[in-house]
Amino acid sequence: MLKINLTPYLMKTLITLFLSLSFSTLFYAQEVMPKMQLETLSGKDISLQSISDNDQLVIVSLWATWCVPCKNELDAISEVYDDWTDETNVKLYAISVDDSRTVKRVKPLVSGKGWEFDILLDTNSDLKRQLNAPTIPLTLLVKNNKILYRHSGYTPGSEDELYEKILEFSK
Amino acid sequence: MNHYKFIAAMLCVPFFALSQEDDKKDYGKLSGGIESNSQYYVDDPKTGDFTEEDHFRSNNYLRLNYDYKSWFAHIQVESYEPNALLNLYPEFQGTGIGTFAVGYRNEKIEATLGHFYEQFGSGLILRSWEDRQLGINNSIRGANVKYRPTNTLEFSALYGRQRDGFSVSDGSIFGFNAEIGLSSLFNFETTGLDLGLSYVGRDEDLDIDNPNFESLTNSFSARLDFSEGNIYSSIEYIKKGEDVYAELGNIIDDRYFDGSAVLFNFGYAQSGLGIDATFRRMENMAFFSQRDQSANVFNQNFINFIPGLTKQHDYGLTNIYVYQSQPRLTFNPLFKSGEIGGQIDIFYNIKRGTTLGGKYGTKLAFNFATWSGLKGDFNVNDRTYEDTEFFGFGEKYFEEFSLDIKKKWSPKWSSIFSVVNTFYNARFVEDRIGEVNATAIVGEVTHKLGGGKSVRMELSHLFSDDQLSERAEDWAGGTIEFNLNPRISFFATDIYNYGNPDADRQIHYYTVGGSFTKGATRIGASYGRQRGGLVCVGGICRFVPENTGFTLNLSTSF
Repeated sequence: MLKINLTPYLMKTLITLFLSLSFSTLFYAQEVMPKMQLETLSGKDISLQSISDNDQLVIVSLWATWCVPCKNELDAISEVYDDWTDETNVKLYAISVDDSRTVKRVKPLVSGKGWEFDILLDTNSDLKRQLNAPTIPLTLLVKNNKILYRHSGYTPGSEDELYEKILEFSK
Repeated sequence: MNHYKFIAAMLCVPFFALSQEDDKKDYGKLSGGIESNSQYYVDDPKTGDFTEEDHFRSNNYLRLNYDYKSWFAHIQVESYEPNALLNLYPEFQGTGIGTFAVGYRNEKIEATLGHFYEQFGSGLILRSWEDRQLGINNSIRGANVKYRPTNTLEFSALYGRQRDGFSVSDGSIFGFNAEIGLSSLFNFETTGLDLGLSYVGRDEDLDIDNPNFESLTNSFSARLDFSEGNIYSSIEYIKKGEDVYAELGNIIDDRYFDGSAVLFNFGYAQSGLGIDATFRRMENMAFFSQRDQSANVFNQNFINFIPGLTKQHDYGLTNIYVYQSQPRLTFNPLFKSGEIGGQIDIFYNIKRGTTLGGKYGTKLAFNFATWSGLKGDFNVNDRTYEDTEFFGFGEKYFEEFSLDIKKKWSPKWSSIFSVVNTFYNARFVEDRIGEVNATAIVGEVTHKLGGGKSVRMELSHLFSDDQLSERAEDWAGGTIEFNLNPRISFFATDIYNYGNPDADRQIHYYTVGGSFTKGATRIGASYGRQRGGLVCVGGICRFVPENTGFTLNLSTSF
């Protein structure tokens, strides 16, 4: 039955992991957005660095058309987006990591849902890889290219906590 | 080489890189991520003992990125110790350096030496990518150069060999790509028009005397993307040159065939309404970096990206009958030369304040997808065939209607209703027997409890006439998920094949678990019994045998 035998391999794996984890906390967390060009829905290239310059506070959300929690998060933000932008001048860039199988669905889905924020495309997951994000949704708050807040996953109501952070960083 | 020492050495790099930060000197930036997915497989009194080696299996990835001014480097160490998770590609074994690269990048030029990920157009001619769940990493090891003389032009050239486990496959890959922004060149004001041209060659010399044999196989692609106002459209045509035929992994050195693909997309988008339609025809389009890998079931050595174009569903019972694309030419066990079909998506938002929209609006998503074999006259003994009708639909492989209705009832209550009707031709899609008609109905309710707490419940039922023993007839399913706050969640889920005529196969596939998320770190743990079958991510599927056990997933980035 359930006799767990901690093999040496398991130990090795765990030791490596814990070493890595503890090392990683010893230096600064990744603070800066990668240098990268991303495509807009109209096919134009935009520099990722430019979206948050001049003190513009930006929410970056990595999502995909097939990711239910991602869509729930963006639906939830969409409902309050006008209030958020009025009060804090924050701007949301929803960056789709849909690959070429589903990327054609991005535009009609965004229109169908009536989302009014900016959409960018990361079709071969280059940004997702650079941000070391194995899972989506991934939500970042970015200002002057510095990552101020990072959260992965979405549960109903998380947007309230995100808004508190937005209030904190928009000052 | 002792890999652990190596990893430890790599981890010390940040100290050198950052230790002098007070001096305001730029020593570059190091970032990285760790992902670990482990399972401990146990004997299951209902479904049987675990008969493979190594009850504990673990897939681990450490990726480090280093950026200094315009220079960049990365290394990814992978460890499958003592063994990889069940039914991963067997070459993923042990610990080693999976990928590495150094490069230089500015606005005009980007050059990479080492492993790189690349995609030309939609990937129908070339895509190298990574999916750890599927055990796919077909990055190309070699050189990749991109040049952007203006905003509207991009040229790339690449050469290399494709990753295969911790090594590379036999064939060399050459690629050239051009992206030309015609609308900017011609100063169109409102019309978007882009042209793409690609060449991909695969050179693999085999010991074949036949004068028809060429070690180099060429493929060419031309694409046009168009948009004007609310309308957009794209078309792509690919021609793959003649190549020696391989059957079940064996080279048949006196049979040669070429291949082609057509991809057409059309869409319309306005606020509250989006429509997207895709048509694709592929004939003999499976393109491998090593020819004798053409029958591999692990999705390895693919040069191009040819996923099944259907809707990706969200629930356990809507993922039992998942279409897999049929790009290959085979005469054995069945004649298939490719596939033809398409899908249409409609997204519609019923406005708030209307009868159907209610106070918060109602969101609809509809999908219809249909796929068939190509029409052709074939001779199985001679292994010859002829197209009889280029755009003709042959045997039907798959067809599906689905509708999702998402509705918010109040600030605290929301629901999703989903129905999926599927025809699945197991004979052609899985090379097994039988045809399946199945309808799944799913209802999901989310209730916000305040203070970040919420509960989600889901009930589902699948009506099916499938006769295959391990999934015959009807299923029921349910999930309950409790979110304590944005960081901590628990769930329990079960799907139950209660309608199986064989009482021994009436099995509960259940999982209970939880997850903790903070910043960039996520820990998930669960225990459960996994249904044997295809695990699909983005239209690419991997077979996983039935198993029971503990799962631990860790990921973090820094």
